[in-house]
Formats: sequence, C-alpha cells, structure tokens
Amino acid sequence: MNYLREVFASRELLGNLVSREVKGKYKRTVFGQLWSLANPLALMVIYTFVFGFIFRANPAPGDPSGLNVFALWLLCGLLPWTFFSTVLTLGSGSLVANAGLIQKVYFTRIVLPLSIVGSSAYNWAFEMAVLVIALSIAGGFVLPWIPVLLVVMVLLAAFAAGVALMLSIANVYFRDTEYFLTIVLQIWFYLTPIIYPITLVQKASADAGSLLGTPFTLSGIYQLNPMNHFVTVFRQLMYDNRWPDGVEMLVCLGWAAGSMAVGILVFRRNQRNLAETL
Amino acid sequence: MTTTAVRVDHVGKSFRLYRERNQTIKSAVMRRRTSVHEDFWALRDVSFDVPQGSTFGLIGSNGSGKSTLLKCLANIYYPNEGSIKHFGRIAAMLEVGSGFHTELSGRENIFLNGSILGMSKKEITRKYDEIVDFSGVEKFIDQPVKNYSSGMYVRLGFAIAINVDPDILIVDEVLAVGDSEFQEKCFQKFRDFKAVGKTVILVTHSMGTVKELCDGAAWLNQGVLMSVGASAPTIAEYERSIGHDSGS
Repeated sequence: MNYLREVFASRELLGNLVSREVKGKYKRTVFGQLWSLANPLALMVIYTFVFGFIFRANPAPGDPSGLNVFALWLLCGLLPWTFFSTVLTLGSGSLVANAGLIQKVYFTRIVLPLSIVGSSAYNWAFEMAVLVIALSIAGGFVLPWIPVLLVVMVLLAAFAAGVALMLSIANVYFRDTEYFLTIVLQIWFYLTPIIYPITLVQKASADAGSLLGTPFTLSGIYQLNPMNHFVTVFRQLMYDNRWPDGVEMLVCLGWAAGSMAVGILVFRRNQRNLAETL
Repeated sequence: MTTTAVRVDHVGKSFRLYRERNQTIKSAVMRRRTSVHEDFWALRDVSFDVPQGSTFGLIGSNGSGKSTLLKCLANIYYPNEGSIKHFGRIAAMLEVGSGFHTELSGRENIFLNGSILGMSKKEITRKYDEIVDFSGVEKFIDQPVKNYSSGMYVRLGFAIAINVDPDILIVDEVLAVGDSEFQEKCFQKFRDFKAVGKTVILVTHSMGTVKELCDGAAWLNQGVLMSVGASAPTIAEYERSIGHDSGS
C-alpha cells in the first residue's frame, strides 16, 4: 500500500516523462505525429494484399454492423497488437536506457517503464481515433461503444504494463531478454488471430481433433493466449459494434489485474538493487 | 546542543567484484550460475553525525569511498550494514543535467528535471524565474539544450537542483565545471543555505573549498573513516598523511 502511495505521489513526474517521450519522439520531423500512423498503415497494406487478396482469409462480416472490409477488420486487431508489442519492446529496455539517471538521482524507478506505457498509449489512442473515424465513414456505428472501448484499452494497457515491468527487471539481469523478446513477439503475433479469423483455427482444430491423444485441442490452447481474448473483444466492439462477450471481458480483466499485480510485486522487490546492478 | 540532520550509523557497503560475469540465460541454465565473485567492502563501519545547519565536507583520495557514501546518503545505494537516517527533505546533486532531454528546450527541461528531483509543478512555476536568473541562460531558454555549451548545460542543471529547496543538500564534485564567477555564485548560495539553517554535505578534492566553506569534515581512506570533526584539524591530518599540500 505504501508503495502504491509513493507511485501515486510521482504521478506528476510520470506525466512529465510521458510528455518528454511524446514531444521528443517526432521532434524535427516534417510529418510529426502522422508518423505514428505510418507503421500500421504499411502493415495494413501488406497484410491486406497478402492475406486478404492472395490467401483470401475471409472474416465474417461484422454482426450487426454489416461491415465487410478486410483492411478495417485487420486494423481492429492490429492496432492493439502493435501497441502491446511496442510497450513490451520499449518497456523492457527502459531501465537499461536510463541507467545514467538511475545511478545519479533518486526517484520512484517504476515511472520509467510506466512512462513508456503512457507515451505508447498516447500514440495508440491517436491511431484508434483515426480508425474509429474510418470505421464510421465505412458505415460502422462505433461512436456509442467508445466508453466501453476506452475501458478495454485501459485493460490492455494494464496487461502490457505488468508484463513490461517484469521484462524491464529481467533485462537488467539478463540483457538477452531484449533480443529474445523480439523473437517471442514475432511468434506470438502469428499465434494470435490478428491476420486470420479465429474461425479458421476452430475449423482446423475440429479437423485435427484432440492433439496426440491428449484432451487438449488446438482452439483450447488458443484460449490460453491473453491477446486472443483482447483482440476478440476489440473486434466485437469496433467491427461488429456489439456488447463484447461477458466471459471474454472477464478473462481480459483477469489477465490485466494479474499481470499488473505480479509486475508491481516483481518490480518492487528488485528496484533497490537497480543502481548497483546496471 | 545542535540537532542532527544526518546520522550515519555503522554503515558498510560491499560490492561484488566479479572474476567472471556471464549475464546470459545460457550460463544461468547450463552452469547454474551467472558469476563468480568476491565481496569488496567500499565502506566499512562508518559512523558520524552531521549537525543541522552545518556545511560538511567529505575528503579523501580517489577510491576512498566518498562517492559510495554519498550515493548511500542520496538513497541510490542501500547499505548492507548499519543505517542512515536523515531528518528533513534531501536533494542530491551527483551529476547536474542528468535527465535532460537534449531535443527539448531549456524551459521544458526545467520542468522535466525539476520533477525528477521531486519538485511539484507549482513549485517549479514559482521558482522558474529564480532558476533562469541563477543559470544565466535566459537568452537561450527556448533553445534545445543540445545547442548549449557545456558550461550553460551545467549551470542550468545546477540552478534547478539548488532550487529544489531541500533541508539537506548533497553535492558531489560538480562545481569543478563552470567559470569562477559561477562558482562564487554557488558558494554564496551555500552560505545562504547555511544562514537559514540548512545542511550541505559536499565531496571535493579542493581543500581550499573545504577550508572556506565547511565547519565539519570527515576523512575517508579505503572505506574506513580516519577522522571526523571540525574541518581545519581534519584537513591538516589528511594533508599530513599524503605528505604534501594538495593546494587550494
């Protein structure tokens, strides 16, 4: 409790660090904040071409929205994923990158990884706002769902933050973490139904039956992937325009709370030794 | 009897000297260890009190543990033995300008750095003019700090740190940079601090500074406290031990 109070007391510092990241990032670029859209747009074009046009992954039209645009369907899952992967990548390196500061000034260390979450969330919110506008133009009725959407975004941010806290500590002790993470994220991305619909997995799972005689099925294993649930909820809200499945929401909430709790615990345990270990 | 600002009580701090250090997962898994090390005590059984309202100098040769002690005082390191108690708000200036973002302007960096050092936005706004005035860079305050000269950089960093308005200020050898005019300004600031009953602890190799500013001093040698007391006799003892006057 004391620790949480200390973290809360440094919210102003957190705000300043977030604005340092945000302001510093696109400084001296001509397009400024628009660069934040460049990466997801490029990915959208590539994946739409390869998976929508060539492989013909054909996600069901939004129900009840009636939307049937692969690119938009893709972005509803891709934007949350890029946010998640950015937070993990930058967050895991945040302590090592600020080693000089940690060794010279005392402050609540946790603000460093959290500021990464904040600045990434800022960019993500911008991207999501653009997506909401695009969805509305395409005929979706997203606007009433924005409050729920914000709640789910906060849940994903909390989930990502918790994982990033653990990784940032791990990276201090094992610098391999950062490199290992890029591989893990790549595998994780393809194991999450972002560029293909989950229905294909269910079909493949039904065809394969139980795996190697165990009671596990492929789609059962997919349920263990937290990002699967987050992507499902985002699609239900933004692409289908309906209440997300209650169970899915609860699973997301559970992952967010669990990851945050473990993340803070791990961080608190190790923060004292940071200055020496770095 | 004056009250104590900082009580250093039997403090010991050890570091691990690694003969072998493989911080990779491979070595952790394959050999079930990441390192072979022995303990090295940078500080051992150091105890002294710093009275409130005094200016206190830490002296000693290179590698004597001064900076380690300072970092323990500043809550950056945690001692393995003993304890350090401080009575009042503490601010440490171990390196000025750490945490500056070079692409941001001086103005933005004042707010950023101030909050890293623990000031609230309101406090910084109130002291903003004073900070800019003290730093003497008002003409360039809206320029990105990467364009600052090293002197300007240090002066701005110092101006922020000194305006944190702590009860106890901890200063590492940061005054070596900056011209003599600025140094004199800093010394004046230390005297002002003292006049209002605040405590300053500083590390320096310049015996002249200690003689001029400090009431008390502690001499460390290889992690052991050799003597502590009024500054003049402590300095004399230190200088005798190294056999020559290290000059002022």
